[in-house]
Amino acid sequence: MAEPDVPPTPDMPDEAPAGPYVYDYKAAPNRQIVMPKTVPLPSLRTYLAEQKAAAAADEAKWLKMQADFETAKAKAEAEGKDAPKPPVRPVPRKDDNDMKTPWPQEAKDADLLLLQERLGDKVEEIFEQAGELTCQVTKDSILEVLQLCRQDAALNYEMLADQTATHYPAATGFAFSVVYHLTSISRRKRLRLRILVPEGFLPESACAVYPGANWMEREIYDMLGIRFANHPDMTRILCPEDWEGYPLRKDYPTVGWGQRDISFREDRGGRLDLIALQKAGQLGINLKQPKAD
Amino acid sequence: MGINQLSTLEHILITTKVEKVMNWSRATSVWPVTFGLACCAIEMMAAGASRFDFDRFGSGIFRATPRQADLMIIAGTVTYKMAPVIKTLYDQMPEPKWVIAMGSCATAGGPFDSYHTIQGVDKIIPVDVFIPGCPPRPESLIYGFMKLQDKIMTSSLADRYKDIFEEVG
Repeated sequence: MAEPDVPPTPDMPDEAPAGPYVYDYKAAPNRQIVMPKTVPLPSLRTYLAEQKAAAAADEAKWLKMQADFETAKAKAEAEGKDAPKPPVRPVPRKDDNDMKTPWPQEAKDADLLLLQERLGDKVEEIFEQAGELTCQVTKDSILEVLQLCRQDAALNYEMLADQTATHYPAATGFAFSVVYHLTSISRRKRLRLRILVPEGFLPESACAVYPGANWMEREIYDMLGIRFANHPDMTRILCPEDWEGYPLRKDYPTVGWGQRDISFREDRGGRLDLIALQKAGQLGINLKQPKAD
Repeated sequence: MGINQLSTLEHILITTKVEKVMNWSRATSVWPVTFGLACCAIEMMAAGASRFDFDRFGSGIFRATPRQADLMIIAGTVTYKMAPVIKTLYDQMPEPKWVIAMGSCATAGGPFDSYHTIQGVDKIIPVDVFIPGCPPRPESLIYGFMKLQDKIMTSSLADRYKDIFEEVG
């Protein structure tokens, strides 16, 4: 395990990001895209770092209270007044809310330990959260890990139940996380594999190991723009073929795009209108062209 | 035999205008396309089934092809990917043809003010009757259909070609 590192929060500009799908925000301010400023990636390392940072901030606050008390005491002595009350360290409020999110814990499950033993350096992190097993591996070794999970007799994860991805625009070092949810029907267990990929990286396709990954990877490409290497048919699956942009990215506007003008696919660029005008000109008909406004 | 003279033919003949007869026959035999897009289609099917019985208005024969249909009920959300298909289906229907936009999605986009939904089907094809509701009950659809029948009864053959005449000059 590497040293805990807190993901830094970059400074976001006040203005919306410039891009091909930006609105007139002054006309509709409620439609402004709010970009996330933190990386809510569930991870034991991040959780420990957050705990450590919170404890350090608490300690610094206590030290500042003490220093303030000392200066106030010295000032009161110099002026001949009564000494102020010494500060009391605040006790953390007891949180009885049992509905809070379970935090990540050290991996104790045999599957995770076996994966770490077999893969060694290729495992970046293993942890358990709410009884769910998560194994984060390096982005180059995902196909090998999937093969191991599928074929190893001790693991024997037969099914790729789901494969999806998330966009983390505020993260440094990676832009997306691709998550593989494996299910072992015979052993009645579930495992989550995760890779972190930067923009433009092509992860290896899981179709060779799990053929069911075909459409799921096409959906990831359609919605987030992650292309997979060695995929049999890397085309869009939900949006039309000539769609621009990737709708599940955080910088994509969620509202308002349906109100744009409709131009049908066979007539993009007014090709049919042009032909109709030419034909009308040959026949000597004055065909009025409809005005857009 | 003079024309003002009463005859036995008076009892079996009705004198009327050709236009009125055509409108009456069209309004009482409107055949819709079997075409549903979302949950409004369930209500449309309920309207066609025996409890509400669309057939009483001569409109229960849902045709499986647009080439045999007069009416297109846009029952559901119109996505950007589906829009060319709807346009093609509408173009394949023979004249005269009518369109009912059923429910708030087909009327104005509904709750989906989003990148993938067309804000009202009237952006791509002309609509005769809009029916609000999410989804509208079969009674609403039947009422909207009766409004369409009224519209068909008041239509004229000259109206349909008026725009074209003006266009040509």
